[in-house]
Amino acid sequence: MSSPLPALTSPFKDKYTTLPSSSSSPSIATSDMHVSALTHVQRPQNPTFISQSSRGVASLPPVNSSFPQSTASLNHTPGNEDASWSLDQLQKFLDLPENAAAPAPNQLAESGTDVMASEDHDKKTDWHEWADDFINVPDPDWSRVLDDTNVLDSKLKVSKQQPQFHQNQPAPHGEFSSNAYPSSTTPTKPRMRWTPELHEAFLEAVNLLGGSERATPKGILKLMNVEGLTIYHVKSHLQKYRTARYMPESSEGTSEKKVTSIEKMKSIDLKTSIGITEALRMQMEVQKQLHEQLEIQRNLQLRIEEQGRYLQMMFEKQKKVENEKSGAPSSALDEAPSPLSGLNHLPCNNDKSDSEALHQDKSRIGIDSGNAGSKNEKGTADVSMKQKALETESTHHVEKNDDESGFPVLKRARTEK
Amino acid sequence: MKFGKRLKQQIEETLPAWRDKFLSYKELKKLVRLISSAESPEFGKADAGAEFMYLLNNEIDKFNAFFMEQEEDFIIRHKELQQRIKRVIDTWGPGGTKPSEAEYKDEMAKVRKDMVDFHGEMVLLVNYSNINYTGLAKILKKYDKRTGGLLRLPFIQKVLQQPFFVTDLVSKLVKECENTIDQVFPVEVEAEIVKEQREAITVAGKGIFRNTVAALLSMQEIRRGSSTYGHFSLPPLDFPDSDLIHSFQLNSPITTV
Repeated sequence: MSSPLPALTSPFKDKYTTLPSSSSSPSIATSDMHVSALTHVQRPQNPTFISQSSRGVASLPPVNSSFPQSTASLNHTPGNEDASWSLDQLQKFLDLPENAAAPAPNQLAESGTDVMASEDHDKKTDWHEWADDFINVPDPDWSRVLDDTNVLDSKLKVSKQQPQFHQNQPAPHGEFSSNAYPSSTTPTKPRMRWTPELHEAFLEAVNLLGGSERATPKGILKLMNVEGLTIYHVKSHLQKYRTARYMPESSEGTSEKKVTSIEKMKSIDLKTSIGITEALRMQMEVQKQLHEQLEIQRNLQLRIEEQGRYLQMMFEKQKKVENEKSGAPSSALDEAPSPLSGLNHLPCNNDKSDSEALHQDKSRIGIDSGNAGSKNEKGTADVSMKQKALETESTHHVEKNDDESGFPVLKRARTEK
Repeated sequence: MKFGKRLKQQIEETLPAWRDKFLSYKELKKLVRLISSAESPEFGKADAGAEFMYLLNNEIDKFNAFFMEQEEDFIIRHKELQQRIKRVIDTWGPGGTKPSEAEYKDEMAKVRKDMVDFHGEMVLLVNYSNINYTGLAKILKKYDKRTGGLLRLPFIQKVLQQPFFVTDLVSKLVKECENTIDQVFPVEVEAEIVKEQREAITVAGKGIFRNTVAALLSMQEIRRGSSTYGHFSLPPLDFPDSDLIHSFQLNSPITTV
């Protein structure tokens, strides 16, 4: 099995590529991102990261020595910018932290962004903004994000004949989940996600070339003719393939030899006691159940987060309305559209009933009583920032019928349990 | 507190080889404590905070890399298994040269076992994904609670789209595997499982089977109601055959050779 690729997709890049990023680059507070990126890179105590980054040239976000430019490139979907990516730029990127003063605040101050200023409440702010950026950057609606998982399934079917790399798409599906920086300057391979279709194409190519032993990565690459696929991907895949083939009978070629030997022991034991068939049948049962439960759990988690988001938006909408009415909360609530009416009893209520528990979370956004004044202020600003990003989506969501029932559905979920 | 222990326990019992691929829950927790307790040195706080974010993102990268690596392997092996079955059926089974009935049975038995184990491995990968997600959700909740931050919601949204969490493909392979097994090895009349047999299974409960049983039980434990049970918590887990599975008393943890 080939060694695991250094997963170097820098965290930021992952965010930007796995989220369906629009081509417009929000300029709000992206400077923090760079500050944080610098903070990441500058860790002297973390040699692995540095050494990885020197290998993982391709995976780091293209950062020029000047921030504003890199803002743009960070936010772009992969594509044209990649061509301009070069080792030089990376060098500058890596050099920056070395040149900067060691202790964090100084460096951050030097960077020219005042986000990580030394005041306490600004610190907290920073995390808010940081968190905001996750929301700000992916402009397209969340609903689209969610829909993607459905889209993916159909894509799988569609792409049977010609598996293509759609670099603009979010992660899965025979694509690069990280940006494909196909520049020839990079020695390392960006992480790629294989699919069965892609594998089929691979197999076809291999067979045409005379089998796994005779086929060469180059030949395979050519035959497959898939955009964005590099020879490194093919190489490692070929290696895995060969390993899998020549671990035939005794056990499937697991990389964990230990598991193998255990399985052997098991088979001996089972033979002597109850017969393999029965044991296998039971094993299957357990595995099936585990899988089923995992799926259920996953769906639940998705749903929970989705509704959490919905509530968050509603909350913010309400807050916005409140702000506009400037200091007449109850009347503002009265005038709010119906989905919001359920949120009337929210704030400052410490009751532990299910619906309140969630709102406890939300109340931190700004309405609650417990926070320091400055934070409250910032909270409001946060909310308005989020508002800008979410405005289109919130109206979109409010109008959607599904979401109308979101709130009561949430309550229902609790009682069903 | 409990999750961290549970996590560790499950890793040790099921997949010690994957130990460092799992979430570094403890580390992250330490950082959260550090953040919330750090006093006036602002860069103490910022440092810990930055480290926290850094570690978080690193962990996600780690999950993604490992997950996709495994996934790729599974894709390959899945295909190979299918082909192998075909080969066995063609060469040894009816319609083939039929060298010997016994050999055919033998081969088929091997294939079956391999398939079942393969199925188990894939399920364990899905489990891996899920456990890490759960850990992330928990640590983010802790973070928000301790620091008054608002990191959880947006960050979790990002996590939901990460490759390691989107387990659709592996799940699909799992189902395909199940189908193949059902077709090729049709389940005979369900034999009654005598108690001795159950015990026998207990003793022989090693390998993938044991792992999956452990994983299932662990999941149940994790989802038991806790003091911080809230809107974002999952309901307690109740799966069919819960008693049966509980009866597979897992003995001393296996020391992998």
